[in-house]
Amino acid sequence: MDAEKNKQGLKAGEEKGKAGAPSPKILVFACRWCGGIGAGRAGWKRLDLPVSFRVIPVECAALVEPDAIFRALASGIDGVAVLGCHIGGCRYNEANHAALKRLELVKVLLDTVGIGGRRLLLAFGTAHEDHQFAEVIRNFLESIGKEPSMGPWLGAGETIFPRREE
Amino acid sequence: MAHTVILLCRCFGEIDGVVDLDGIAGRLREENQDTSVYLLDSLCQEDDGHKLEMLLREEKARKVVAALCAGDRGRHPRWNALRNAGVGPSGYATVDLREGCAWVHRNDPAGATEKALDLVSMALAALAEKETSRDVSTAVHPRCAILGAGPAGLAAAAALAGQGIPVHLIDRADRPGGMLNLISKIYPEDDDAKSRIDPFVREMEANERITFHPRSRVTAVTGFAGNFKITAEGPDGPFRFRAGAVIIATGAGIFLPRGLYRYGEFKEVITQIELERQWIKGTPEKKRFAFIQCVGARCPERPYCSTICCPSSLKNAMRVVAEIPGGEATVFHRDIMTPGSVLEEYYRRSMEKGVRFVRFREDSPPEILGEKSVEAVRVRDAGSGKEHVFPAETVVLSTPLVPNRDNGALYALFRVGLDSHGFFSETYPLHPLETRLDGIFIAGSARWPVSSEKAVEQGQGAAMKALALLRRDRISALSLSRTPEEKPGHGTVAENACTGCGNCVAVCPFEACALQERDGGRFVSRVNKMRCKACGSCVSVCPNGTMQIPEHNYRVTAAMIRRSFSS
Repeated sequence: MDAEKNKQGLKAGEEKGKAGAPSPKILVFACRWCGGIGAGRAGWKRLDLPVSFRVIPVECAALVEPDAIFRALASGIDGVAVLGCHIGGCRYNEANHAALKRLELVKVLLDTVGIGGRRLLLAFGTAHEDHQFAEVIRNFLESIGKEPSMGPWLGAGETIFPRREE
Repeated sequence: MAHTVILLCRCFGEIDGVVDLDGIAGRLREENQDTSVYLLDSLCQEDDGHKLEMLLREEKARKVVAALCAGDRGRHPRWNALRNAGVGPSGYATVDLREGCAWVHRNDPAGATEKALDLVSMALAALAEKETSRDVSTAVHPRCAILGAGPAGLAAAAALAGQGIPVHLIDRADRPGGMLNLISKIYPEDDDAKSRIDPFVREMEANERITFHPRSRVTAVTGFAGNFKITAEGPDGPFRFRAGAVIIATGAGIFLPRGLYRYGEFKEVITQIELERQWIKGTPEKKRFAFIQCVGARCPERPYCSTICCPSSLKNAMRVVAEIPGGEATVFHRDIMTPGSVLEEYYRRSMEKGVRFVRFREDSPPEILGEKSVEAVRVRDAGSGKEHVFPAETVVLSTPLVPNRDNGALYALFRVGLDSHGFFSETYPLHPLETRLDGIFIAGSARWPVSSEKAVEQGQGAAMKALALLRRDRISALSLSRTPEEKPGHGTVAENACTGCGNCVAVCPFEACALQERDGGRFVSRVNKMRCKACGSCVSVCPNGTMQIPEHNYRVTAAMIRRSFSS
């Protein structure tokens, strides 16, 4: 890539952000052993992906609190993906299996309150290979793009995340 | 406020070529007054850690964010520089800007730059909220429990006892030797099976450090690496002892081919083990032998290759030809698996000796012909596609080794993982013979079907791994991790807020959580930090956020979400 051409990157990005149609915001919780490695391998293969997802690396999919998913959606993120190892291949015995069952319940809850379980993607076992990682992300971005936006980005608002001790 | 240093690696243009790192550095300097931002051409190539250490000391850094490639997970020796400069594990965060940003978004530099800024901001925000797990340590009991007195267990016991470590050797049989007791001779030397383990058995009898418990089984295990409390039951009743490490060498089970190739219908259709038993008694009376390979192996139910059956058949076929006057042996196979120089030479020798080989296809297996006893074997040759009939008096079925029937019970006791077939699985390809729980090792056919020679190798290997643990006086919970980043911390309970609901106890995959009674009959959860692997299962089921992993607590997650689309 031409480095000189990108010097204005930040500026151009700001303008684009203001003018262009809002692209869906996706948050990805990727376990270190499968999802995270899949993301890295997608990079090695130079697969082309849309930019509008952010990865939060976690030790295991089991660490993803249902609370964190609600907080993310409440602050304006349009979809949350949880990527873990295939069932039976978890480094922590049956931890990801328990996580799958737990997060399926979160989907039901999201459906019940009208946000829609479709905004939560659970991919166990499909994410540890580069092409599958890219496919999961692309498909999810596409399907979330059809959903209405979760509203303006409130992420930076301190009121949503009070510090408990203070 | 602790001083923060941000290192941005250009990776010789790999990151810089897409992401506007200079612009990001400017924005970061603007937004975070208390940070120093450094742009480096390549963090891994231009520095062995010394320069980095000098820089961090000069800056009096307490927190470091490094934006670089995904390949770096804190394994590089350069991160010793962090420790030397006084930056703890919770004061350090990496951001994957190369694979995770520059390389996958190279057609959208503006978007990639925005994303890179977000990712670095997320790491910065996370770092501000990270706390450090309190480490604990325990004294190591320099004693080892070995389950199974087969070749793997015996070799491990002899190796450890030779290093001065007392060993408890537990076996459900009444004598040592395991599956070798059922076998007449072993390949490829064609020595007596006893010769493989005789030196170890003599060592076991002579060395007072080895205590052999025949006809015993483990009934309960508590504790952790360095201090397992093991309860076992023997003929004289239950006994208990402590051990710093455990080696599981319980071997595999034998598969009976019921209903296959008319096994059970004719007494002349036998398995390899039954033929071995005949050899132990003397030379078999029959002359014409047919060996059928892959009986119940490499099929949908058992898709693995058991590895030992081909060499065993070669051994027995050669014995038939050499030791029985007028003996004939034909091996019906799908493929002959003899990897390595020694076994390949063994295969060639068997052909020279006159053993016949006929290959069949999986979809047209051989057929046993006969009215009242075995008369012949009809087979469609895979090469020519023609049918042949071979007269035979005895048919020997090569069946695979299958997971030991005790494996399920052992899994419930030790909580170390089983693979999809039911054998014990290793942590990771990089850590052979180690299980998912520290201090528990596996060797021999409990892990995968292996020959007695390989079982001895693995037993000695597991013994050395156990020795590395048992030689230490004390071990700390965080030092059990193999690299600085391997174990990021452990579950920590705020006891004042814990309601004692027990969700964490139910969900913990390693049984690290337990409820303890406090004054007034109140129950609180306690995490055994030596057993905890920091997967976070307990965190996500805790109803009020009492259980946290300090290095990745809820405020870290919240802070990262907050910054995720902030630019």
